[in-house]
Amino acid sequence: MALILTVLLPLCVGGWLVAGGRHLQRSAVGLVSLVTSVVTAAVAIWGVIARSSFDRAWLPDLGSRLHLRVDGLSAPLVLLTVGIGILVAVHGLTHVPEGGRPSTFAGSLLVVEGGALGVFLAGDALLFFIAFEIVLVPMWALIGRFGDPHNEAARKDAAARFALFTIGGSTLMLLGIILLIVRTGTADLTLLPAAVAHLPHGTQLLAATLLTVGLAVKVPVWPVHTWLPPAHTTAPTAGSVVLAAILLKMGTYGLLRLPVLTVSNGFHSIAPVVAVCGVIGIIWGGLVCLVEQDLKRLIAYSSVAHMGFVALALSTGTAAGFRAAAYGNVAHGVVAAMLFFIVGGLKERWGNADLATARAALRETWPRFGFALILGLAASLGLPGLAGFWGEFLSVYAAWSSGTTLLRWCAVIAAIGTALAAAYALRVARLVWVGDAVPVERVAAAGRDADRSEMFVLAVLGVVTVLLGIIPAPLLTVTGDALRALGVGS
Amino acid sequence: MTSTLTVDLVTLLPLLAPAVGAVLVLLVDVIAPGRVALHHGIGIAASLVGILGIVLAVNHGRPSTLCTAGPTGTCFLDLTGTGAGIAMAALFAGVVILLLTWPGRGMTLPVAGPTATALVLTAVTGASVVAGARDVASWLIGLELATLPVVGLVSLTGTRRAAHGALSFVTTSVLSFGLLAVGSALWVYASHRVTFGVGAAGAVWDDPTRRPAVVLALLFMVAGLGFKISAVPFHMWTPQAYAGAATAVTTTLATVSKLAAAAGLIAVTRMLVGVPAHQFAFVMGLVSLVTMTIGTAVALRQDDVVRLVAWSAIGQGGWILLPLVGHDGGGVAAAAAYAVAYVLASLVILAVVAIVSGGAGSGDEPGARSLAAYHGLFRRHPLVGGALALGLLSLAGLPPGVLGLVAKVTALRAVIGVHLWPLAVVAVVNVIIGLAVYLRWVAALFGEPRPDADAMTLTRPAQIALGLGALALVVTSVVPHIVLWGTALG
Repeated sequence: MALILTVLLPLCVGGWLVAGGRHLQRSAVGLVSLVTSVVTAAVAIWGVIARSSFDRAWLPDLGSRLHLRVDGLSAPLVLLTVGIGILVAVHGLTHVPEGGRPSTFAGSLLVVEGGALGVFLAGDALLFFIAFEIVLVPMWALIGRFGDPHNEAARKDAAARFALFTIGGSTLMLLGIILLIVRTGTADLTLLPAAVAHLPHGTQLLAATLLTVGLAVKVPVWPVHTWLPPAHTTAPTAGSVVLAAILLKMGTYGLLRLPVLTVSNGFHSIAPVVAVCGVIGIIWGGLVCLVEQDLKRLIAYSSVAHMGFVALALSTGTAAGFRAAAYGNVAHGVVAAMLFFIVGGLKERWGNADLATARAALRETWPRFGFALILGLAASLGLPGLAGFWGEFLSVYAAWSSGTTLLRWCAVIAAIGTALAAAYALRVARLVWVGDAVPVERVAAAGRDADRSEMFVLAVLGVVTVLLGIIPAPLLTVTGDALRALGVGS
Repeated sequence: MTSTLTVDLVTLLPLLAPAVGAVLVLLVDVIAPGRVALHHGIGIAASLVGILGIVLAVNHGRPSTLCTAGPTGTCFLDLTGTGAGIAMAALFAGVVILLLTWPGRGMTLPVAGPTATALVLTAVTGASVVAGARDVASWLIGLELATLPVVGLVSLTGTRRAAHGALSFVTTSVLSFGLLAVGSALWVYASHRVTFGVGAAGAVWDDPTRRPAVVLALLFMVAGLGFKISAVPFHMWTPQAYAGAATAVTTTLATVSKLAAAAGLIAVTRMLVGVPAHQFAFVMGLVSLVTMTIGTAVALRQDDVVRLVAWSAIGQGGWILLPLVGHDGGGVAAAAAYAVAYVLASLVILAVVAIVSGGAGSGDEPGARSLAAYHGLFRRHPLVGGALALGLLSLAGLPPGVLGLVAKVTALRAVIGVHLWPLAVVAVVNVIIGLAVYLRWVAALFGEPRPDADAMTLTRPAQIALGLGALALVVTSVVPHIVLWGTALG
């Protein structure tokens, strides 16, 4: 029961805010969304601890049930989602972008949260797909309506590109899911792996290809990543955070849950392609970050690189790789959320996020942002002791130790990618944190440092980044146990 | 022969009630002229009685009637297997249309008085007859009953534009009737029977001397129905007739007539169950693919919402045809489910179009039908805007319109079940284009209202009509099983 509440609460309150909340004051909207996200988080934590599940008949004709459950693979992402939900709601108390009513904005964010929770909790392939589709329209509205107010054409283009890429990906994924349902007669994710194993290899290969391509659009994996940078560039701060910390995670979680674990034989055949695409993404993202002039777009490209590590880890097909992927997933969720909160805050104050403009040193003008930025960049480049390190290190390790020549080469190139990450992180630090020599009066007129809600958000994310880096064992253990329960040895 | 027929009045209610209603309306007008509200009341009551009849017949396990006695007896009316769902949807459409055109302020049927009401009821009767028809004569009569009254309604609109629309519509209808009549005659000639049984074509198919006649019969019947369901290349009348007629008539055309056409096609396809007619699947697949692509692509370019609806109706017709390529029980049920889902969404969309364009909506105010008139509709009237968004997202196949999504899933399942992968891929492309079509309209809804736009007021009957339509969509989106079950009985 706790799980269905976890999903329905944000969906219903969010839907109500969008549909009926138009007369609410800004402060009331903020309060409603904060209370909802806190209650959702409490119910979710209770559901995760109690390992509760929910199972009702829903669409017998399609072999699909209303089945929600939680395991070690989904629990960390559920917690990440509800956590980000609270942070976004806190941030929304003081930051509501222009473009529409605050109730529409907060409502859309809650619906995205509810849909994401549905994806992570779904124990049924069709339900998983439907939950995936729930986030599309509200996210499209967040980008298209509440995005960068300076450039309407870019905003519309980014929103449309996001929607069309995503629906294309999900429909391909749907074909794969239907293929599995038609051939096995069930949509239950716990029954599917055994049922799929009896299918002919051709069918498995086809299903795995459809699912992988469809989900690769959402991760996104190079070369279908082109929707992500514009979406991130135009989305409002909270939208970018949700996009990076929750939506991309749905893609990687989907990859792990559907093609990798469910159609493992079929995925095994296409894994080399995924590995190569992942590695190209790492290098591609890194190289773009070395020259990109828009700070938000730069962080978006760094996300493409980070997702490349996750794709590489998944393609190894080993328990070590899956643990690396799960870890990298959560770590990127935390670090990217932090970076987008910072960069979004800077963009709000600067008016744009152009790196070519000469600006005063962040460490002097806004030391709080400055410190958080350095921490975020350090975590992003994979500095040991911070969250980003373990995901990347373990990915490269898993790829190297899996033994095939191709994966070893991929490991080497991915390691070079980490060097690129260091280079672009230092570039950003030099341009923004060290800054340029500008007259003192411009510094004084530049605006204010992080306000209270931003401080809270950044502090929480900073502490989690450090904790994940220092004590990686609990998360790795939870994932490992779940994989062992699914029959993937460590 | 007639003396041995068993007659079950309850099962006949879905056909009898609207027919009796039509006669009653005319009678009442003779006795007490000018009581227009009474006509609508009678019509709505008659449709509701019909719906009640279906519920009772199905619940009491008596879905077929007019049966001949004996072990080889056949039934001439059978609501099992797609019939109940389609007839129910047609009767429901009748209720909504008559409520929308309730006399007073707001929209009207083209001619006040009993004729228009009786014509709508006759069309509903026709759709119910086709839905349950198991013999050539009822099938043909039902199809014409569902079309000819609408031809009358289109021509009664009386404007110049309507005259153009009516002319091409009349020509098409006559041609279509000719094709259907010749097809039916060929069928009777080839098979020596007047009934349309499941797999009836099988026995004839195996006889090489009779096969050419059966193929011709099928071709003629499918071509005739192609006109009615607006399949490319028989679709040219659709935009003209839709745009020329009053919105209430367009609604009848898009819902009741479309259901009759779908039911007619389903009856033809049902005869092919178990027949290895790959050529039929090829033709059906090709028509479906071209129809959905052209309809959806042209809809993308429309600015007049009624023309947009018309082209989208063509595209959606392609989706109804799509699962018929399987020509097995599942494919037939999927086509019926898709038709019902499409009709429920279209009812809501056209009800809103009628409300927004106000009055007769016969194209006298072109401005009221442009997409610009829908800017900020959600803010001006959340119920109207929200209902329209729900209807559009249902057609696009996105949550919260889960019904449309499930309908697409069942349609694609039928295609994947017979390994027609090229079709599935084209369908995916069409989902993407379709999303662009419908999101364009949704985007307008959530925009800023025009400064000169005044608050909208709805008449009570229009409120009820829209509320009923939206409620049906919501309920079937929460439990889509209802529709799948109603269209796959037996």
